[in-house]
Amino acid sequence: MKSRTQQTSPERGRRSSRRQAAARGSKAAVVVRRIVAIALLLVLWQVAVLTGIAPGLTPRVDRVALALIEILGRADFWLALLQTVSAALTGVAIATVVGVTIGLLVGSIPAAGRAVGLILDFGRSFPTIALLPVLILVIGANWRMEVLVVSLAAVWPILVQSLYGAQQMTSAASEMTRSYRIPPLLKFRRVLLPSALPMISTGIRIAVAISILVAVGVEVLSQTPGLGRLITLAQGGGRWDLAFAYLFLIGCFGWGVTALLARAEGRLLRWNRLGEK
Amino acid sequence: MKVVLRILERLWLPVVLIAVWWVVSENAKSVFFPPLSRIMEVMVKDFQSGVLGAHVMASVGNLFAGLGIAIVVGIVVGIILGETPKLRETVDPLIHFFRAVPQSALVPLIIGAMGMGSAPKVFTIAFACVWPIILNTIDGVRSVEPGVRQMSLAYRVPARLHFTRVLLPSSLPQIVAGVRVALPIAVVVMVVSELFAAEQGIGFYILQSSSLFLLAQAWAGAILVGVLGYALSELFNLFERRLLAWHYRSNNPTAARSATTSKRK
Repeated sequence: MKSRTQQTSPERGRRSSRRQAAARGSKAAVVVRRIVAIALLLVLWQVAVLTGIAPGLTPRVDRVALALIEILGRADFWLALLQTVSAALTGVAIATVVGVTIGLLVGSIPAAGRAVGLILDFGRSFPTIALLPVLILVIGANWRMEVLVVSLAAVWPILVQSLYGAQQMTSAASEMTRSYRIPPLLKFRRVLLPSALPMISTGIRIAVAISILVAVGVEVLSQTPGLGRLITLAQGGGRWDLAFAYLFLIGCFGWGVTALLARAEGRLLRWNRLGEK
Repeated sequence: MKVVLRILERLWLPVVLIAVWWVVSENAKSVFFPPLSRIMEVMVKDFQSGVLGAHVMASVGNLFAGLGIAIVVGIVVGIILGETPKLRETVDPLIHFFRAVPQSALVPLIIGAMGMGSAPKVFTIAFACVWPIILNTIDGVRSVEPGVRQMSLAYRVPARLHFTRVLLPSSLPQIVAGVRVALPIAVVVMVVSELFAAEQGIGFYILQSSSLFLLAQAWAGAILVGVLGYALSELFNLFERRLLAWHYRSNNPTAARSATTSKRK
């Protein structure tokens, strides 16, 4: 948008391109500096291991790199990734349906909103993973239990955000739907849901981050198949190079998910920011 | 009268839910869901014998130690990075990477390397909590008004004074927001680390009870963790309101004024 308006006169265009080149130059410098910093960190790590400063079990960088290549070629890693992702996403999907429905319904009735306040505060600060030992006894250490724990943990941010979203709806909009006698279902779908969508999407973004944390935690603790279990197995078997490689890959995965969600939210809610301008 | 009504309005649903749980579970035959009366009985008994109290103290001690380290380190690193743009740009991807590592994946590695005691747990909690605090502190330092910064420069305010009297207060709201993000992370990591390998703590109490098939004890522990999380979050709310009272007043003068005028009416 900005570059198009700047291209209107040739004089301006040339100046902006020169400025862009300068910006690109400094950007390249930043990238170089970042690579140097990461390389420096890895070299320090390697030196620390070789000279024996680092704790005895820390693996060498080259070993971790080799383990990384080994892992990427193995089927069990990809299967574990799929298991973790599917459990996390199924949990978030369930949490979204439940959270948005309850949140919007409760949020559009003021008295109900006040009545659930304490329950929401409690549920939000409850570490669901504390129920894990009990749930393992009741359901067993399997995929269904993992999905249940994830959805129990992920539902709260979505519920709270949907509730706030519904409460924020302008009185003009709600009065209009009433005076035009818009049927409840249509009101829910076309008025309540869109006006609460920016808040809901923030809730879902928080929920996805929580879901990965919880899914990996469940796998670490209960030996349910997935990435968390692979880490515990590698560590238990003394393969610290593998464990570090898994940790690195999980970090990359978490980072990718966060970046993707930020972009998706930006795209989905472009209309919302257009309104602000 | 109005106050009583407002409290009732907020309390009736939780009370009804607990009552329903109490009544329904009273006659339930399931081994897995013991009656709430029995859970409470067990909790009171274990508190009186001092077992549960010791576990709670151990957990809370680890939590505060880890969070405290994370706050100090996070603020110092955050202010340094916020003040040096070049350094910040350089290490930015590293910080975002560490922030994105699911903290629960760290537990087996750190406990596996450092052993069972409370030091590895404190370290894990600190490592998990430090990233949101660093990121928020950086944001806070960067949002210091340029005018204030130039003034501090022009009057040659000494570095230490600049740090404690200019940077720290003006980025405090952001730092507090970072700690608010870190608090539930700390509780979750605390529980996970105690469920993974521990000799004391509420997580250990839950795990031990359920492996001995003492379901009432396990439920009591889980409820206690929930109460602990809730109490910490409420305490933090109180603390935040006190610490940042000046901020709310100065940033929202119209709201403050209208509040006082409406009170006068």
